[in-house]
Amino acid sequence: MSIKIKEYAGTPLREEDLKQGKVLSIGYWPKAKYNWSAGVAIGRYLAELKNARIVGRQCDKCGRTVVPPRMFCEWCFRPNDRWVILKDSGVVNTYSISHIAADATRIKKPLIPTVIQIDGTTDAGILHLVGETDPKKVKFGMKVQAVWKRPEERTGAITDIRYFRPIER
Amino acid sequence: MKHVKGKMPVNFLYTAGVAGERFLREIKENAKILGVRCRKCDMVHVPPKIYCERCFERLGEWTELASEGQIETFTMCYFDADGNRLAEPEILAVIRLEGANEGIIHRVRKIRDQQVHVGMEVKAVFREKKDRVGSVLDIAYFEPFAR
Repeated sequence: MSIKIKEYAGTPLREEDLKQGKVLSIGYWPKAKYNWSAGVAIGRYLAELKNARIVGRQCDKCGRTVVPPRMFCEWCFRPNDRWVILKDSGVVNTYSISHIAADATRIKKPLIPTVIQIDGTTDAGILHLVGETDPKKVKFGMKVQAVWKRPEERTGAITDIRYFRPIER
Repeated sequence: MKHVKGKMPVNFLYTAGVAGERFLREIKENAKILGVRCRKCDMVHVPPKIYCERCFERLGEWTELASEGQIETFTMCYFDADGNRLAEPEILAVIRLEGANEGIIHRVRKIRDQQVHVGMEVKAVFREKKDRVGSVLDIAYFEPFAR
């Protein structure tokens, strides 16, 4: 509502009107299930995470290594050339301090979603969390290292890395 | 191949609206199908609306339509909305009721000895009054009839 708009046009409804059947309504709960195939590049990337390894793809033309990997260089418009096994460390490219969880509930200990540029790559990076640190101390360019789940806990998912922790230079 | 499974909780509750409410209540109470005429462009809308989608005129001239009409177009469905194969295929049709300039979408059943076709004469079969709930499915289906 504003100074100019005193009331909305239309027919206001309350939740009780629907519950008590004062107005006709229809409810529908579609079974919106999906099964998303990870593809060749992400498929291997996820499988390697289970082995606590981060892999990327390298392009010979531009020399770039991309992670998460894809089979095609979107700079050169050609299939890229080889798999490279990368270190599980990198630098903070950009980050955010979140005081709410994914379901928008307030959390006491803030999360630090971060784009981490993995060592050996030259641009962008992977989105993950930074942990074991005071949010105030996170800096661009800060060096971080992956903290992995135990082998028996790993499932071949990005969450096989619990978070990245800062490492002293 | 690595794959990720998931489910999207997309629930909704949709109200019939001012015109839809009156349309469905009339089907429920009196087994009658209402349309609404636009004075400006002389077009009878069904299902009824409160504004004419052609000229944006406010609509208010409610008119009772016949429960008979013609198949304007149709399709045969072999799967339900969730993609499961139906035991019996279902015919969904756009049916233009006599006196209306638009068609309503409904199912056609009881097609025995003839092929479903465009222009086929069909009539609404209503559910028993006690079974009617205020839904377009209070019309159980349309079936062919001979004049």
